[in-house]
Amino acid sequence: MHYHYNEAFENPDYHFSETLEIDRRGSSQRNQFSHQTPYDSSLHGSYGEHRGREQNYPVAIPMSSLGPGSDYSQNLPSTSPYGNFTDNISFESEPELIHTRHSTLHLLDYPYTHGISSGSEDSFIRRRNRRPPDEIFMASSSTLETDPACSKEEDLVGSLASMSTNERMKAMQKMPETMGKKREIRNKVLKEITKRSRHRGAQLSCCRQCLQGAAVSFRRFGNALSEYFHQLRVWHKTLKIIGAEFGTSVLSYFVFLKWLLNFNIFSFLINFGFITIPQFLAAEPNNLSFMGLELLTGAGYFQQTVLYYGFYTNATISKTENGPSYNMQLAYIFTVGIYFVICFLILLFSMAKFFSRNFTNSELFSVNIQVASKLLCIWDFNITNEKAVKLKQKNLHTQIKEGLTEVNTEVLSFSVKERVLRLAIHLLAWVASLGTAVAACTGVYFLSINNLELFMKGHRSDLESQTATLVLPVIVSLLNTLIPFFFSWLGHLEKFQTPGQHIYVTIARNIILKMSIVGILCYYWLNIVATSQSQCWETLVGQDIYRLVLVDFIFCLLGSFFGEFLRRIIGTTVCMNLGLPEFDIGRSVLDLIYSQTLTWIGILFSPLLPGIQMIAFFIVFFVKKVSLRRNCQPPRKVWRTAQMTTSFIFLLLCPSLLGVLSVIGVTVWRLKPSKECGPFRGLSSMYAAVTEWIQILESYTASKWVVWIYHNLITNQLFFFILSTFVLIVTYIYWQIIRGRKTMTKLLLKQINNAGKDKQFLRRKLQAEQRAKRSSSARGGRGQQRSSSSYHPSRQPAQEVPGYPGRAFDTNQNTSYNEHPFSAEILSSSDFLPGWEPGAARAVALALRAREAALAEDSGGFQP
Amino acid sequence: ASQSAYKRFSELLPKEERENACSARVPKSQILTLPELRANPFQHRICHVFSTSETGDDSMSFEDFLDMLSVFSDSATSDIKSHYAFRIFDFDDDGILDRKDLEQLVNCLTGQGEESRLSSAEMEQLIQNILEESDIDKDGTINLSEFQHVVSRSPDFASSFKIVL
Repeated sequence: MHYHYNEAFENPDYHFSETLEIDRRGSSQRNQFSHQTPYDSSLHGSYGEHRGREQNYPVAIPMSSLGPGSDYSQNLPSTSPYGNFTDNISFESEPELIHTRHSTLHLLDYPYTHGISSGSEDSFIRRRNRRPPDEIFMASSSTLETDPACSKEEDLVGSLASMSTNERMKAMQKMPETMGKKREIRNKVLKEITKRSRHRGAQLSCCRQCLQGAAVSFRRFGNALSEYFHQLRVWHKTLKIIGAEFGTSVLSYFVFLKWLLNFNIFSFLINFGFITIPQFLAAEPNNLSFMGLELLTGAGYFQQTVLYYGFYTNATISKTENGPSYNMQLAYIFTVGIYFVICFLILLFSMAKFFSRNFTNSELFSVNIQVASKLLCIWDFNITNEKAVKLKQKNLHTQIKEGLTEVNTEVLSFSVKERVLRLAIHLLAWVASLGTAVAACTGVYFLSINNLELFMKGHRSDLESQTATLVLPVIVSLLNTLIPFFFSWLGHLEKFQTPGQHIYVTIARNIILKMSIVGILCYYWLNIVATSQSQCWETLVGQDIYRLVLVDFIFCLLGSFFGEFLRRIIGTTVCMNLGLPEFDIGRSVLDLIYSQTLTWIGILFSPLLPGIQMIAFFIVFFVKKVSLRRNCQPPRKVWRTAQMTTSFIFLLLCPSLLGVLSVIGVTVWRLKPSKECGPFRGLSSMYAAVTEWIQILESYTASKWVVWIYHNLITNQLFFFILSTFVLIVTYIYWQIIRGRKTMTKLLLKQINNAGKDKQFLRRKLQAEQRAKRSSSARGGRGQQRSSSSYHPSRQPAQEVPGYPGRAFDTNQNTSYNEHPFSAEILSSSDFLPGWEPGAARAVALALRAREAALAEDSGGFQP
Repeated sequence: ASQSAYKRFSELLPKEERENACSARVPKSQILTLPELRANPFQHRICHVFSTSETGDDSMSFEDFLDMLSVFSDSATSDIKSHYAFRIFDFDDDGILDRKDLEQLVNCLTGQGEESRLSSAEMEQLIQNILEESDIDKDGTINLSEFQHVVSRSPDFASSFKIVL
């Protein structure tokens, strides 16, 4: 973190003064120490011509001779051979090093610190070129004792050795070093540790060795296991190919799909294991005939299978008369309940993780996030396909051009009339989209009521009424597929200022549409089907959801066919200017969220629905993959993948899962289960099963604690009141902390800015000084020798400048800060103008302090 | 993962050297035939940054190869990734991104062909924009911490700075 600042101070003249001397010197030194391992030199090799300097120190000096606490900073001014003051600059980090030697994490927090030495060495060497040859020789021998890199490594080893094994491994992993270098450091650390433990005595060694051996073998076992699982990873290759051709953004859709698939596999396994398998033991024979259409409608034969709620028994299942028994009611309610709790927690934690990762800075800096600086990290290294690379480059090219013209034309502002017009258009579009959604909901509602009547009339399983039940899901899916096109057309009409707005508004409208349709369906199920005169309303609802899921799946496949395959045919043959279709990530993800919502609602009514959804997702994965690779081209616009993923997970949690939870809650607590079917037959509500169970438990003394928890925590309002108050308080405190941090960050940012200004000013001053000095030394002939010696005490004033950071801080508080704080000081100091040398020394001292302060601020500013 | 890495690495070696793949060095030309690097516009820089070759021919040993993979893997921290990204983009190896580096970087991003290059005025404007936004201390260059700051604002970086075998 230091060496960038070196560059700022460096006089540009030095660059032109490169001579061959350095090469000679460098090569001779390399020969001298060429027995080192080849890995060490990588950093130096890549950062400059000066190889093998740092790595030699451990050889040249025995480690013990230069203990970490060598009074290195003290002897520097006197023994330092670098008469030229620029050399001091490259060593500016020494005082800091000495101060922070004992804070173990200091070096590790800044992964560059270790690598820095090579950078600073590089500039350092360039400066040294100016020295006469004999001085260089002296320097190369004496640097061996005073080089900061060496003591830095000592520090590093020392701090690593004092950590626990786990911490040390983590810290080592964080270091940006080559493997060989890391190994060397590790060996040193181990040596250090053994040295220390020998001091402490070796009584425990046998036991500890045993433990260590066990730990090592355990770790090996873990590694082998993870290796094995690594090979088991499904679709690794598929995902890689997709990433190679289409980039991270499209890849994120497939990762999301895979994630949902895992979710469903998990839920299927749970349901199957805890609900279905016990049911098999108590299975009744199924006397309905199988016709084939049932696969689509889910009715008929399936009515009396484990697929639906109605088939499950309410009995306690036990193999032997007095053996342990299995209460189906409790199993049903607890399995579903625990599954939802797990889902909720997983979603919550993954969302929190994404949030903390992706939205840390965006709020504060949202104003100045622009395309230009994004270019620094825009390249997608996943893309390895040659054609894709070309395409990506082309897209970036047009994007950059667009961005540039945008910046140029951004200033044009709209007149009042235009603004009103825009607002009116937006308003109209919103009214249109909301109206469509409402119309769709009404249509679905009346259709479903109609459907129910039809179903109740023709109760027998004749073919016609069964086909009629398919009308509702087909209509719903049609609405879900077609209306988004209307919305995106509306979005094009509206002419949003930024593409981001366009995407977000379209997504918001789609979400409103989908969720209101699901909402109206839920209303229909809970309020109309549940109170109807049907035999088993839960099974009816389950069938409805089954059909919806299935038809949605079919529409998804059809969508790939028509939306992508036919679109490609049209785009490449009929209408050439249309080109290849782009993969619409947003809409595809929303479809996934929609079907996952349906599955969640359906779990209670049809416990095996996750299994069906699992198969559907599996097929969708492959169909989408093939369709994508055959038909689509990578998206042209930059898609802010990480933030979009976060918002998708948020959508999955917030309207989707929370809505489902409320539906399930109403079903479990409020609705009366059917009288003649299902595990809860005869109860006033599903939850009554739990109440009854608690009543039974009360008679056993062994399970008193369950009863106590139930009465005092779960059914106790006071407890929840206290809990929520507590949570609110904690939230409020955190909120305040965040606000404080934000102000702090702003302040620090301002400080960095000011430090930068200081630096610039000082650099200009220095350059002027040097120019003046050079001209004077040219006049004075042999002035150089004298000046080099008189720079030695230059560090002294550095300590004398009082309270610099404090001062800088004060001035930063003042927002109308314009004038440079040091200019006054420097100019007013009386000895500045008369003698060149003291003035320069003072300037350097100031520069040093400024830089240290800047460093301190800098580290604080970037890791708030 | 290391097994597959070993396999891939030894495939790059000629037959007679495969026994001692751990100590052999693969020349740069051979490394660049990897499908993961073949089309990458930064392939030369990647080789250069990760190579520990003493002669500067950018050849890679197995350890260098592993280093590269670990930096580009999922488990590398964002700090490490941005550190190496900085070094990859630092074309002249001087520890800062100056205007020349940025120009080369943009050229790599848009492709080297004549028609895909930006005009010098556009380039000037673009670099000016980049510096204005990311050069916090206004010294006309981007240093590592400034670069890491920019990266921290771009959450996609960690997922896009990735190469899987």
